[in-house]
Amino acid sequence: MEGAEAERPGSSRSRRPDWPGWSCCAAAAAGFAVCLVGWLRGGGTLSLPWVPSLDLRLSFAFDGLAALYSLLATGVGVLVFAYGTRYLRQHLVEDGRPLSEGRRFWPWMGLFAVAMVGLATATDLVLVFVFFDLTAVCSYFLIGFDRERREARTAALTALLVTIVPAVALLVGAVLLYSAYGTFAIPELVARVGPGTTTTVAGLLIAVAALAKSAQVPLHFWLPRAMQAPTPVSAYLHSAAMVAAGVLVLGRVHPLLARSELVLVVLLVVGLTSIAVGGVLALGRDELKQVLAYSTISQYGYVVTLYGMVGAAAAGAAAFYVVVHAVAKSALFLSAGAVTTATGEDRLSRLGGLGRRTPVLAAATGVAAATLAGLPLTGGFFSDELFFGAAKEHGPVLTVASVLAAGLTFAYIGRYWTRLFLGPLSTAPGALSRVLLVPVVVLALVAVVIGIVPSPITALAQDAGAVSHAAPVTLSPAYHLDLRGTNVMALAAWALGGLLLAAAGLRDRASRLVATAGDRLGPRRAYTATVIGLRRVSDRLHDWETRDLRSSIAAVLVPAGALAVGAFAVTPVTQAFAVGPIAGTDWLVLPLLVLVGVATLVAARTRERLGIVLALAAVGFGLAAVYALRAAPDVALVAVLVETMLSLVFLAALARLPGTEPHREHGRRRGQRWRDPLVAAVSGLGAFVVIWGYLSEPRETPSVAAEQARLAPAAHGQDVVTVIVADFRGLDTMGEITVLLIAAVGVATLLRRGRLW
Amino acid sequence: MTDPETPPGPTVIVRVVARLLLAPSVVVAVALIVKGYTKVGDGFAAGMVVGLAVALNAVAVGAHRAEAALPVLRHAPHAAVGGAFVALASGFFPVALGEPVFSHRPGPDEEVVSVGTAELMTAVSFDVGIFLLVVGVVTVLVHQLAEPDQEPPT
Repeated sequence: MEGAEAERPGSSRSRRPDWPGWSCCAAAAAGFAVCLVGWLRGGGTLSLPWVPSLDLRLSFAFDGLAALYSLLATGVGVLVFAYGTRYLRQHLVEDGRPLSEGRRFWPWMGLFAVAMVGLATATDLVLVFVFFDLTAVCSYFLIGFDRERREARTAALTALLVTIVPAVALLVGAVLLYSAYGTFAIPELVARVGPGTTTTVAGLLIAVAALAKSAQVPLHFWLPRAMQAPTPVSAYLHSAAMVAAGVLVLGRVHPLLARSELVLVVLLVVGLTSIAVGGVLALGRDELKQVLAYSTISQYGYVVTLYGMVGAAAAGAAAFYVVVHAVAKSALFLSAGAVTTATGEDRLSRLGGLGRRTPVLAAATGVAAATLAGLPLTGGFFSDELFFGAAKEHGPVLTVASVLAAGLTFAYIGRYWTRLFLGPLSTAPGALSRVLLVPVVVLALVAVVIGIVPSPITALAQDAGAVSHAAPVTLSPAYHLDLRGTNVMALAAWALGGLLLAAAGLRDRASRLVATAGDRLGPRRAYTATVIGLRRVSDRLHDWETRDLRSSIAAVLVPAGALAVGAFAVTPVTQAFAVGPIAGTDWLVLPLLVLVGVATLVAARTRERLGIVLALAAVGFGLAAVYALRAAPDVALVAVLVETMLSLVFLAALARLPGTEPHREHGRRRGQRWRDPLVAAVSGLGAFVVIWGYLSEPRETPSVAAEQARLAPAAHGQDVVTVIVADFRGLDTMGEITVLLIAAVGVATLLRRGRLW
Repeated sequence: MTDPETPPGPTVIVRVVARLLLAPSVVVAVALIVKGYTKVGDGFAAGMVVGLAVALNAVAVGAHRAEAALPVLRHAPHAAVGGAFVALASGFFPVALGEPVFSHRPGPDEEVVSVGTAELMTAVSFDVGIFLLVVGVVTVLVHQLAEPDQEPPT
């Protein structure tokens, strides 16, 4: 137990290193090393039975695609976690929160990294779904880390709903494929699946889940909102990991998607729209992280577009693009966080001229921005070159679209960097911790190294592309000093971007126009309306159900009775309702039942509390006597005991009630008088019909009960009920008595703050 | 209960009967368990019998007085949790031997050692666990619900 004193910011203990953070960092580094060795050794597969009755297996494959995304998740993870150790502390100190809140942060970060690696390696569709949702759950807690702020909470909920509800489509698609082809394993599906309606529908469903995760239009609006998250979360989840999960799934199941023209067209359209919407909106945003969020939407649009074009070049280019983008975008997020930490401002309009004060940060951010813009000597040049190359193979429309897209990227990222680091100084930055700077520099260096020696990433992208394309892929990114097609396209894109950068007025007006249109007609509005509507319906149902005790009881009894009556209405009932002969002890049972009936009426009619309790006790003891006569002494014994206890509890409760008798509330609405008898009639009739039907059903097949009675002596018992309770159904009994213990703990928690005694 | 000397409600007869019923109820409970596997009744019923006696005492003389008169009642939480563990151990020990849960010993074809009518087998120890748990839970509930508004003196 650490006292509040130990956690006060500035005290000696608060300067201790953030051990959970650094251990996450070390674990990520170890994971990176393991993944690297695994990839260099050629990978491998692992398949364990999971739920054999459902054909589910825990199948993992460490192939090229898995290696690429695992290396990204762990590699970027190392840097982001290191950055986070410092950032989180500063963040908490600034908000005046105890440092111990960091304990809520790192487990989710670590679990997220694990889920990402699991998703990258999973080759069973249901397993993919599980990891997919696991990342969403982690992201919910990470985005909502600043849980005191309402915006953070709504942002977290939006991200969760928009990614997890479409994820159900992934499961539906998986089940569709399973029902048609009898397997959840992706490699086997790739071998078996042919073109057809099932393939198209399943492919579309899986694509919807993946596109929502990758924040593609029209389900993109969760990502800009999710910028409420602390910067390390944005840098990790919204560049290298969570958003990448969507395109990872696309890459994993791409051979299936490629069997359907329609799915490919959808991918192309969605990808190009996302590039345009994300890019244009990024042009006009003022908040740093908002610009980057829209940029992410746009950049993953590139990858989705590449998956929409079929071919070896496109598959390889998509993989290459993911790596380069993740490196550049996490650097940009981390630098945005560093700028905000140093200056306390998070808007472009209040920042500027930081280049002279923080030259290292400016240079590193510049490299990252150049990478996004696709300038030479950065990895971005090659990723754009491969993108242009793939687009060129698919006709003039895509060629022009790709040039426009690259021009847009050049413009918004150029605007971002120049506004931030050039021009007159607006807000003077404070001192910048080295831990916040080094990860940005390292990522920028990686981008430059890829720009000079692309061969390692090329090899990785070739391996990953081979999985998505289901055939070997060869990429040959290189600098060519001639006017070949891709070079011309790159030059055209830069020129276009430069023009957009210069024409500030036109650019801002266009961006504002699109933003307004999006706010008016966009999917976010539909989402908000849906959430509000659902909440209203739920509130109304809840109010109606819990208005008073009678409503609560009716809410249980009426549906149960109606269901029973409905079930009997549609079941053939020629033999079901027989009246058997009356003989022997039945002559004793009948008057007992009459007594029970009279007692029930008394309980319903009397107004004296004591009378109600005694009448109910009479009902219970009368039924216990019936059990005893019907040769069920065990049930009768328990019934007597429970009935006694109940009567005792009622009497003890009566002693505590105020002395006045209950009176009917005045001014009840018309019709309410008939409500209670009606509810009672429906539920009572339902129960009556069920029991009558059950008792008159002739038993032809040997029942379970008879079998258990036969086996009881073998279990060394003569009392069948006891043997069933303690042996045949022992596990059920165990569960029931555990519930008893939990109930006691619950009562203790409610009444005495958890003290059992 | 304003005056602890003369609690309202239960008459002297109820109080005396409640007091007198305690010992017989335990005897009945033991009998129910011991004969449980061959005759009517099981651990749950036995636990309810003792629980009823405890509850009757609480109603008759008030929970605090009843607990003061029977200090052993303060071990009710231990009985509940201990009973859960006894039941758990009796049901799940076969897992350690690689068998399905609730494979009671002695097995179907084996000889059972009996002491009088009590059979020494894990099914009966499971029943004993249920008995302890039910007694413990009922006593705890009586204790909790008896004076919910007051914090007991610590």
